[in-house]
Amino acid sequence: MTLKLQLIKELRVPIDAGCICPDTFAGKSLNEIAELQIWEGNRKRLLNSLFELKEDSQETPDETNIHLTGNLSRVQRIGAGMKGGEITVQGDVGMHLGEKMLGGTIMVEGNAGSWTGSAMKGGTIIVKKNAGDYIGGAYRGSTKGMQGGTIIIHGDAGTEVGCYMRNGLIKIQGNVAQFVGIRMRNGTIVVQGSAAERAGAFMTGGKIIICNNVTSILPSFSIDSIKSKAKAEGEAIKGPFYLFIGDLADHGNGKLYVSKNKNEYLKSFEEFL
Amino acid sequence: MGGLLVKNGFVYDPLNNINGEKMDIAVLDGKIVEKTRNAKVIDASGMVVMPGGVDIHSHIAGSKVNSGRLLRPEDHYKDVEARTAKTRSGVGYSIPSTFTTGYRYSRLGWTTVMEPAMPPLKAKHTHEELNDTPMIDKGAFPLLGSNWFVLEHLRAKEYEECAAYVAWMMRATKGYAIKIVNPGGLEAWGFGRNVRDIDDPVPNFDITPREIVQGLCKVNQLLNLPHTIHVHTNNLGKPGNYITTLETMKCVENLATEVNPAIHLTHCQFSAFAGNNWRTFRSASEEISEYVNSHSHVTLDIGQIIFTNTTTMTADGPFQFILYQITGNKWVNNDVETETSSGIVPFRYKRKSYVHAIQWTVGLELALKIKDPWKTFLTTDHPNAGPFMAYPKIIAWLMSQKARDAVISKISRKARHKASLPSIDREFTLHEIAVVTRAGQAKALGLKNKGHLGIGADADIAIYNLNPEKTNLAKEPAMIRQAFKNAAYTIKDGEIVVKNGEVVKSVNGKTYWADLKASQSLLEIEPELQKVFEEYYTVKYENYLVPNHYLSIGAPIQIQTKV
Amino acid sequence: MPVIDNVTCPVCGTLCDDLSVTVKENAIIDVKNACAVSEAKFMSFSNPKHRNLRPLIRKNGKLIESTFEEAVEKSAQILVDASYPILYGWSCTSCEAIRVGLELAEEVGGITDNTSTVCHGPSILSIQNLGIPTCTLGQIRHRADLIIYWASDPYSAHPRHMERYTAFSDGRFQESEWEHFVTRLRGILGRRRLNRASELVLMKEASLPVFSGQKLPPKFETRKRKVIVVDVRKTHSAEFADFFLQVEPNKDFELFQALRLLVRDGELEVNQVAGVPVDLLEEVADALVGCDFGALFFGVGLTMSSGKLQNIDAAIALTQDLNLRTKFVIMPMRGHFNVAGANVVYTWQTGYPFALDFSQNYPRYNPGETSVVDILSHDKADAGLIVASDPVSNFPRSAVENLVKNPLIVIDPVISPTTMVADVVFPSAFVGIEVDGTAYRMDRVPLPMKKLVDPPSLCHSDEEILRRILHQVKRIKQQRRKL
Repeated sequence: MTLKLQLIKELRVPIDAGCICPDTFAGKSLNEIAELQIWEGNRKRLLNSLFELKEDSQETPDETNIHLTGNLSRVQRIGAGMKGGEITVQGDVGMHLGEKMLGGTIMVEGNAGSWTGSAMKGGTIIVKKNAGDYIGGAYRGSTKGMQGGTIIIHGDAGTEVGCYMRNGLIKIQGNVAQFVGIRMRNGTIVVQGSAAERAGAFMTGGKIIICNNVTSILPSFSIDSIKSKAKAEGEAIKGPFYLFIGDLADHGNGKLYVSKNKNEYLKSFEEFL
Repeated sequence: MGGLLVKNGFVYDPLNNINGEKMDIAVLDGKIVEKTRNAKVIDASGMVVMPGGVDIHSHIAGSKVNSGRLLRPEDHYKDVEARTAKTRSGVGYSIPSTFTTGYRYSRLGWTTVMEPAMPPLKAKHTHEELNDTPMIDKGAFPLLGSNWFVLEHLRAKEYEECAAYVAWMMRATKGYAIKIVNPGGLEAWGFGRNVRDIDDPVPNFDITPREIVQGLCKVNQLLNLPHTIHVHTNNLGKPGNYITTLETMKCVENLATEVNPAIHLTHCQFSAFAGNNWRTFRSASEEISEYVNSHSHVTLDIGQIIFTNTTTMTADGPFQFILYQITGNKWVNNDVETETSSGIVPFRYKRKSYVHAIQWTVGLELALKIKDPWKTFLTTDHPNAGPFMAYPKIIAWLMSQKARDAVISKISRKARHKASLPSIDREFTLHEIAVVTRAGQAKALGLKNKGHLGIGADADIAIYNLNPEKTNLAKEPAMIRQAFKNAAYTIKDGEIVVKNGEVVKSVNGKTYWADLKASQSLLEIEPELQKVFEEYYTVKYENYLVPNHYLSIGAPIQIQTKV
Repeated sequence: MPVIDNVTCPVCGTLCDDLSVTVKENAIIDVKNACAVSEAKFMSFSNPKHRNLRPLIRKNGKLIESTFEEAVEKSAQILVDASYPILYGWSCTSCEAIRVGLELAEEVGGITDNTSTVCHGPSILSIQNLGIPTCTLGQIRHRADLIIYWASDPYSAHPRHMERYTAFSDGRFQESEWEHFVTRLRGILGRRRLNRASELVLMKEASLPVFSGQKLPPKFETRKRKVIVVDVRKTHSAEFADFFLQVEPNKDFELFQALRLLVRDGELEVNQVAGVPVDLLEEVADALVGCDFGALFFGVGLTMSSGKLQNIDAAIALTQDLNLRTKFVIMPMRGHFNVAGANVVYTWQTGYPFALDFSQNYPRYNPGETSVVDILSHDKADAGLIVASDPVSNFPRSAVENLVKNPLIVIDPVISPTTMVADVVFPSAFVGIEVDGTAYRMDRVPLPMKKLVDPPSLCHSDEEILRRILHQVKRIKQQRRKL
């Protein structure tokens, strides 16, 4: 089944649309789906009061696919907990996209909000433009960030990418703000662009690869070696890279790869090799 | 208020020697009466009728509990309560918000709960939270085992002066009983140290934990307090600590009277560890129960472990620090000047962990090996060993070997082989359950109108949809759990507040406190106290006191002391 | 003339409770033991020029006088009609009022947030990450031999903090360092100029040389009380310190992590961190490990500079690390007198300390999403109620614009930029002066606030005003259900 949802209302207050999820739609008739409940601020609404729903009879895959169109930047929790199927979004999308997802694919043509893929365990999220803060992060107070799956951001991402990450892969093709890979325990983060300060703060394991400039290295990291390439989930990324180990303030053994050619100011560390 | 007639239930009222007889209970104006006319009738036929549950030890309100709430958003967001026309919203799991705490206790059929660790300096906080905890009557125990005034009086063997101070403290903080946590150890923790055992002197104070326990026990008797001293032992949570526990019980042996016990050991499971280290760790339930079976001056509650993710929080700062080091989890420590400390660490008890599994057996072994149910009470030291919402599970374990075996088959293999629990075939009757969950606890607390259904008692009643005539309960643990999880009715002060596990009416309970009447000369300690007060505290004497209006429904229990 | 003793001061989180206030004919004519900030409040609060004295409602673009009932009705209508109202402020009122405010927020399905969202919110998030080893202030007074103020200037923001709880207080195991300080002044200034100098110090204009440099002074070898001030610039508090450590702006995080490494006997591969030479840093680390009881106080300089909550994470982690070696505590220097109380009441009723969203009928919490500044910046709210706070002066511009364009209700004793743009204004009474109640000190010790004088006739307590609005909201909702 393939469903097309077109946003028909200009939104002011946040929408909690956790029901927009292939697993919730699966096995329901169009009418049943239209009457699923969402929250518009503190008002309970039916899905069809905000969206025009159409079933695309041309496409009849086994899985449930959902195509969303409109400015969904205030619509939150789309695809939360999804196990399979596909969601595509033509436009921007709000916070908590694919939160706790287990499988399937989400593809966003526009920008995504903060907490995209937080605590996810499987599946793939692709964002064609920029994403907000805490990509692949954890809920407040929890130490369970992303535990599996893949997030690919074609543009830039905000602060704390991969906070408390335990496994999986995050790829940012643009730049990242401060604290990339903070508190990560395992998994891999690749930043094609540059990273602001404090990459890998408090990290105890895992791998961060920064292919361009990094503003500074924390004093609690120690240089280990110079590597000609870095590996990210089987893919080799050409270096050379300085490899730092940290965060030693937390007895960490995380690996921080930083492009050698783009960060000449780090040459002073070579004397410790 | 109209009358109520609970008809035809199987009534379990151990304090009045009623053991499952089919009878009616009449209620008028919030009290149990002989009979009522034109009363609303509750048909309890085929159901169990008991006094409302009583909890002698459950951390539900105050500074430490609230720090635990603040610490754990990840604990809350999985378990939420939406508002209804009758109830406020809240969050649950291991440290429920105040309203939710009240509703949930009420849904289990519990009607009286004691907050066992109130730092006196923050007593107003505890009472403000208790005011926002609906559905239940409550009380709070001020922490006195490392209080400077107490230590100094007891060092000088000034028992009467100490009694006067404690009487003042009960009035000042609207407290109910003397709570002692790791006696002396919390003062040592002020500089990051601890006491090693019951005879290790407290640094800077030249007094031993033994002298503190004995002294406060004497003070407790001088004051005629309704409850005994309520003791969390030294060395709690350490392998081999059962020796300290035995010593603690023994040290007040000669202070016991014929009528009343002298000491209550709380969450005894945590104090009944044998072995030299975590590897040789084993249960000391045998040693503890043997002593308790042959002595009459001790009551205890078990502090039963539940295999779940919970939040440990005690006034025992040094113990919580050890837990922090063991787990690497987040850790709150909060020391209170002149009085006490506290610590909080999230904790997960795992079936497959040898130590945790043994801890699980220790609690049940204590309950099952101690012959007299009036000496041992059901608690989880909420939320330390598990949330109070697990009581139905524990009741099923106590009543059904089948229920125990189901868990035993899933725990760590080493624990299964070492524990004595699998060989115990005792199964509690409903009568015994009524003792360990209400009658015995009310008696130990000295709450005369609680824990029974005799004429004049408070009309706090729990009705459970369970038919002991029709079913062999020991074979149907799921039925036990289901019935105790959602009371068919909970009646509080004569009003139906819960029906089929749903709150149908929100009511506010009373807060009990010990209003001690001492002789005039002892009451005159105030000027003396005021003089040193400012050297000891950073608040003014006047601002330390908890005025009556801080209790939304205060229930002072007037007590004539012996001094 | 009646003198009221043991009055708790309704200004900052230090919550001094030893003030003596003289009242004559319902006016405060003298206040003793108060700091300059407190005295200013007590002596000027009643100035009618600054007070809201009547309920106001905006009609045709102008705020005009109304009755209390009309203002209540209008407020209730605004809140019932809103789909995502914010209820903000709460740190300058009593816990009793906050309790009612939470019930109101729940009833209208709103978002409620207190001012910690713009001061120590990051500190709370850090506590949720790591916990916190802390204590009440008396522990520090009795025991601390090392006191650190980091990015905090108690001299200006919490004037009596050092005198009551730290360096210059007398405890059971530690003595006041006042004499030592005076001796040091003598050394610096010479005997003849001493009187003049201490006068100047107390007058605040004076500027004294501070102890800083490449080495810790010899006092750090003793068991006496030592004070270190760490800041980006030389503050007044630094003048009272035994050592001033200057850190490059926005580099606190690096400094903390470096200290953590040194405390664990690790080695640094750089010569300086955040502008501090590693040799000096090693001495500081030794001082941290070597004390009997250390206390670290930090201010909003840390929570609101680059790194925000991670600065606090690092500070708490350092303190926790230090507890493996000695006794160490850490405490945020809370600003408003009852901001700690707001967190406390929020937490006991809902499980969460600030940034609460009741829109789905149960409390939800996710700062960054449900925090008021974020909601306003993204223009997601559609009405507002502000209690005893002035967000128009404090919030970022975009947030203010979005706040102002919605219907806005303000409850405040004083005229502020926020009341001037409101649609409904309730004049209220000052907590701790005109009404009583409870407040929580920065270490969460509850203290009673006193009523000293009667409020102006049309000024009610926040609690009363909120109760009336709540009552009216319930009535309107009931009527609508019937229709």
